[in-house]
Amino acid sequence: MLNKVTEDRIAIVESAAKPAKKRAWKFQLPLHLMILPGLLLILVYSYGPMLGAIIAFQDFNPARGIFDSEWSGLDNIRYVMALPGSFQIIWNTLIIAVMKIVVGLIVPIVVALMLNEVRKELFKRTVQTLVYLPHFLSWIILGGVLIDILSPSYGIVNQMLNWFGIDSIYFLGSNDWFRPVLVTSDVWKEFGFNTIVYLAALTGINPTLYEAAVIDGANRWKQTLYVTLPGMAPIIILTATLALGQVLNAGFDQVYNLYSPQVYETGDIIDTFVYRIGIVDAQYGVATAVGLFKSVVSLILLSTSYFLAYRFANYRIF
Amino acid sequence: MVERLTISRRLFIGFNYIFLALLSILCILPLVHVLAVSFSSSSAAAAGYVKLWPVEFTLESYKYVLGKEEFFESILMTIKRVAVGLTVNMVLTILVAYPLSKEVNKFRGRTIYAWVFVFTMLFNGGLIPLYMMVKYTGILDSVWALVLPQAVPIFNMILLLNFFRGLPKELEEAAFMDGAGHWTTLWKVYVPLSAPALATITLFTMVFHWNSWFDGLIFMNSPHNYPLQSYLQTVVIQQNFTSASLETIAELSKISDRTFKSAQIFLGSLPILLVYPFLQRFFMKGIVLGSVKE
Amino acid sequence: MKKRRGLLAVSSLLVLSLTVSACSSNNDAVNDTSKEGNGNAETTPVTESANPEDLYLGKYEEPIEVSTVRILSPSVKFTGSETIDNNVWYTEYANKLGIKLTNEWSVVGDEPGGQGEQKMNVSIASGDLPDIVPLNASQLRQLADAGKLADLTELYEKYASPKTKEVMTSSGPEALASATFDGKLLAIPSPTSKIDQAQMIWIRTDWMKKLGLEAPKTMDDIFKIMDAFVNQDPDGNGKKDTYGMAMDKDLYGFFDGLEGFFNSYHAYPRQQGKANWVQAEDGSLEFGSIQPEVKTALGKLQELYKKGYIDPEFGVKDWNKEKELVVSGKIGLWFGSMSAPLVLQDLKNADPNADLMPFPLVSIDGQAAKAQIPGINLKTPQYLAVTKGAKNPEALLKMINLFFEVTYGKTYTQEQVDKLSTSPVDGIERWMYSIYTAEPEKNLTTHRLMKQIFTTKEKTEADVSVEQMGAYRSVKKAVNAEKMETIDWALNRVFSPADSSFNIIDNYDKDGLLLPSAFSQVMTETMTKRDSTLLKQELQTFTNIILGEPLDSFDKFVENWKKLGGDEMTKEVNELMSSK
Repeated sequence: MLNKVTEDRIAIVESAAKPAKKRAWKFQLPLHLMILPGLLLILVYSYGPMLGAIIAFQDFNPARGIFDSEWSGLDNIRYVMALPGSFQIIWNTLIIAVMKIVVGLIVPIVVALMLNEVRKELFKRTVQTLVYLPHFLSWIILGGVLIDILSPSYGIVNQMLNWFGIDSIYFLGSNDWFRPVLVTSDVWKEFGFNTIVYLAALTGINPTLYEAAVIDGANRWKQTLYVTLPGMAPIIILTATLALGQVLNAGFDQVYNLYSPQVYETGDIIDTFVYRIGIVDAQYGVATAVGLFKSVVSLILLSTSYFLAYRFANYRIF
Repeated sequence: MVERLTISRRLFIGFNYIFLALLSILCILPLVHVLAVSFSSSSAAAAGYVKLWPVEFTLESYKYVLGKEEFFESILMTIKRVAVGLTVNMVLTILVAYPLSKEVNKFRGRTIYAWVFVFTMLFNGGLIPLYMMVKYTGILDSVWALVLPQAVPIFNMILLLNFFRGLPKELEEAAFMDGAGHWTTLWKVYVPLSAPALATITLFTMVFHWNSWFDGLIFMNSPHNYPLQSYLQTVVIQQNFTSASLETIAELSKISDRTFKSAQIFLGSLPILLVYPFLQRFFMKGIVLGSVKE
Repeated sequence: MKKRRGLLAVSSLLVLSLTVSACSSNNDAVNDTSKEGNGNAETTPVTESANPEDLYLGKYEEPIEVSTVRILSPSVKFTGSETIDNNVWYTEYANKLGIKLTNEWSVVGDEPGGQGEQKMNVSIASGDLPDIVPLNASQLRQLADAGKLADLTELYEKYASPKTKEVMTSSGPEALASATFDGKLLAIPSPTSKIDQAQMIWIRTDWMKKLGLEAPKTMDDIFKIMDAFVNQDPDGNGKKDTYGMAMDKDLYGFFDGLEGFFNSYHAYPRQQGKANWVQAEDGSLEFGSIQPEVKTALGKLQELYKKGYIDPEFGVKDWNKEKELVVSGKIGLWFGSMSAPLVLQDLKNADPNADLMPFPLVSIDGQAAKAQIPGINLKTPQYLAVTKGAKNPEALLKMINLFFEVTYGKTYTQEQVDKLSTSPVDGIERWMYSIYTAEPEKNLTTHRLMKQIFTTKEKTEADVSVEQMGAYRSVKKAVNAEKMETIDWALNRVFSPADSSFNIIDNYDKDGLLLPSAFSQVMTETMTKRDSTLLKQELQTFTNIILGEPLDSFDKFVENWKKLGGDEMTKEVNELMSSK
């Protein structure tokens, strides 16, 4: 309550008179100064190179450079659209990425909540460290490991299915199963990362809220539902929104190391496509055009969710 | 506080421990496998015999990695990179996150600033323009080329921004009342109270710098200046048998790339195994709000 | 940085004046630069000797500076104070030729699309080019197109030594032709062996012996061996866990590629994923993978798969993963190139009783099977070019001459050669430090030498060059029935006078059973742009057919191939080849 009052008071004071305004500017000056170094660096190293993206509209020849290559308008995008299967590729990317975003959001929350219930510190810390470890494995190595454990003839997963009377499944070679395998293995590899973020967020929840809930007679489940989850909400919304920026990133390394001609139909994604066009065929203009398209889509999604969150929940994500 | 445990609660706790233990095992098994492969003979690995325990134990792959002089040069470079990178990243992340955590009425222009930063998460000009920028600014072939282009990790910055925003306003106001300016408030109030968030992004930043390799290859002009992972990337045998000479094939076949890559992964995750448990000390619950309880 | 640049400018000015006087010939590149230069060209004149040897390997009186960048193989090694910037070869360039070669950068990773190429792309795009640049085919095309490269046509005529010229054309004129644009030679190619790519059949002979099988004469014999390997328990473990043939998801490849299988059906599809062209009866060129013979062979593969002769999971494995089944003794037959024993040393280590033998391709009908080989084969980096502003473009040719002089020439003593090539002392392959390496048919030559030493006795140990010594020692151990290490076993299988992979290649060569691609250029424009898309469709269709899709989807693939740029490609290829 006090909080709200002071805030209003400062706001009133700040907008009251001209000298006050000047004083506010002087008071805010350090804030601008703080941002300055970071801002300069991203202007130089992020915005500067962004000019290079204009090669998306060129028939780019690196030897001629950006200034001497021929302009080709939207030819690069047209070229991509005319290639067979480009819509299938976009569709694959969307499905895989969206499934990864959804599952990848839920799993770390659940694990963080479960870890939150653990009272034994040592156990908790050990689990916390161990679940982060798969992050360090590379897909090149995991590709081989997955072929082994998912093998229909000798893989451990299928052996377990057989115990339950289920027929072996050719996970990596089946167009029905390839995407679920991608999603599961990716979430498995990366959930430790977000779990850490949520655990950090949990530390910020006011313990008095739990005490109040106990006094109100709430059991642990109710406390989780009404105290813990709402406390995590901002960070959940934040990660969800930022994940939307990844909606056209289905994970190059993973797909590249796991897919095969058998599952091109469901597994070929924008990034593997760009790899073939950009690296193998050396068509930089086309590759950049596709990259730009991805960025624009992400920007639209991200800003939409930003403004929706602001309008309906009066909450600024960043 | 003594909690009376109901039966369902006991059941839950039991289940919880078992579940988390199984989950950890699921996460650790592949790494154990990788470790086993890295200590196995090349032929055992190539035949796929290695499961969770080394077959025909040998230190060959580690000898191969550690046996080159470049290994130690690259370790030094990586330490330099992590030190410089961590310092620059953390300072800038804090300096950017603090102003952006203010509401619009307290910091005019924050939303524009915020979008200017977030925009760089979505758009980039690609490798070649970045290289030219690095070259023009004269930092090519130095540790700065590995640090400055990603001086502000946006994701970490946003995390910290949100954490700052979650801190009670009373603290800040109290500081202002005492005549403190923004600088003092940031260093004396915000930073000490954000230990869990800072520990998290310290971890992420370290992992990032420890494991990045591509920029090392592009921005460094000589293999002697490679950081560890760039170096390892070049000694891991690229399976280019197609146009390789017979001598090369014979040479490459001596070292299994599988045992070698496994050793690389283990070396890559080693520092994190050492550092993370230490950082976890800062994941203390309620330190933030505990301090303002009246 | 600026200071250094100034210094460089001064020194290059000095260098420039020397060049002008040194080679006051009618060569464009040099004359161009002399116009830009200043008047003090009358410094110490270098004696323009009549002896061409001086042109090939003559020393610059005043040392010149030449810059380059290096893309190194991951297997390159250094010891002591040697680095890629300072080593025996670079010292030799300075002492023998008066060329001070400096590296602006060096990177490890020379595979196609690898780190070296990427770093080179960045350098090209940022205009940051040294005097001598290592390039792949598309980079060469880009730089040629942008007019950034020096014309080497006349310099090559004048400065390239006879040995250099001989090697350049030893595997045909294609290599130089591929670096020629509008009649101008813009780069020096690094040709490597084409015939080493010819495939043969590899079979576990210990299994054959155990099951009482004869060496295959026809394709039907091969199918019988496959059947026995699947059904007669060759590994003797009482389980039916072996397969008849190894293959992987890339279908084509050096280790267990299907090229050889297709060749047995007189079909000549892609080789190692690269387009292959055949000559039709009317003399025009056609794409190999769309010929009807390919369809027939695919039908057979489908049948073999259905019968369980092929690893049911081949479709998700790359060659390295499939190799696991070979090393662990589950597969004993496949089609592949000559290097199999070297790649399979792990098999011999894991099972000392295992033995492998190569057999020549057999035919599905009475007509002899021919093994396909590429029309052109370059090692990476494929070309060395000189950028336009370079002061001494001929320095590149001198350094190339030096490489061949060391390798084949008479002026270097054995001791000196030892220092510059694979050292007998520490085993370090110092020849890799040389800016240029290329020995196209070296392996076959080595094999023939083994025959001459051990079979016909025309030659002796004295004729063995340092490069060939490793192979010689291994073969000698085998001949004398001495104790052999795994590497000896492998090298003997590759080089020995009989029962070796090169014996088979030698016979192919003698019997005219090698079929080079009818198209001997690197790539046409449409190929560069469309090939990855077309390759993807081809692999998809062929894999699905093998896995059981109706064989007629092949016809649809052919139709699509033509529409998606195939026809255009065919037109380009025919025009290009008829103009040569």
